[in-house]
Amino acid sequence: MSTAAHALSAGHAPSHAETQTGIPNGKLAMWLFLASEVMFFTGLIGAYIILRMSNPAWPGSEGHLSVPMGTINTLVLLCSSATIVFALSAAGRNQIATTRKWLLLTIVLGFVFLGIKGTEYAAKFHHHIYPSTNVFWSCYFGMTAFHAIHVIAGIIFNIWVLMYTFSPRLWETRGHRLELAGLYWHFVDIVWIFLFPLVYLL
Amino acid sequence: MSATAHSSDKTYTVIWIWLMVLLLAGVGLAELKVSKQLIVGGVLGLSTIKAVLVAMHYMHLKTDRRLLAFVLIAPLVLVGLALCVVFSSRLVRL
Repeated sequence: MSTAAHALSAGHAPSHAETQTGIPNGKLAMWLFLASEVMFFTGLIGAYIILRMSNPAWPGSEGHLSVPMGTINTLVLLCSSATIVFALSAAGRNQIATTRKWLLLTIVLGFVFLGIKGTEYAAKFHHHIYPSTNVFWSCYFGMTAFHAIHVIAGIIFNIWVLMYTFSPRLWETRGHRLELAGLYWHFVDIVWIFLFPLVYLL
Repeated sequence: MSATAHSSDKTYTVIWIWLMVLLLAGVGLAELKVSKQLIVGGVLGLSTIKAVLVAMHYMHLKTDRRLLAFVLIAPLVLVGLALCVVFSSRLVRL
């Protein structure tokens, strides 16, 4: 098994990593970055909740949000979380072709999510609904657009790691970044897990 | 494929099924004609369970070093404190 495959086995740190914490620097850095992202999104979501609770005449979506489309988008992201963890698992078994297949599927699912979100945005604009329409739509566009930017960043990260799978030399030395891409992707999924019910269901 | 890797894949699949079930349960709960508080509590509770499942199993917090869990908990504590301050304000009508 290659060094990268050892590193990725069962989603754990590279065996060659010798740090004070016992955690590879890259992985610790990613977790610290995700911690800062938790603060960022909690600020956005917290502002939405406070605005909503302090506004006696909350405008709401007034039937302009499709729960089925939101549900499908959530299903897509949950599936993509599973596919990237399967990619990591396959990498741990040194099955590069399988890793590439799962990673590619994750990227495709990311694009599907953005496609559905883009369709929803287009429908809103068609009905002359913009961020300036009222406080609900300001929050909706603000939160979902920032989330979509993170999805785009995640897709770029995943494509970057996918490129490594085509080069045995790069995969050997940099393949462990798949775990970092996975952590970021799961975080994006978790954010949507909370955004979806807050905006679409409640 | 090693036995360990195979059992991991099985766990990942079971978690994925649970995530699907919990999502559909949340959507179904939101459609019920019951009190708003019950729906809000139930739906956000189900979302929290989904997030914990993803963090514990897909992000491997369950088996990784405890330090990483503390890295995640630290901002949540800060956020909790911030929310306590905000919700104690008279501007927010609970």
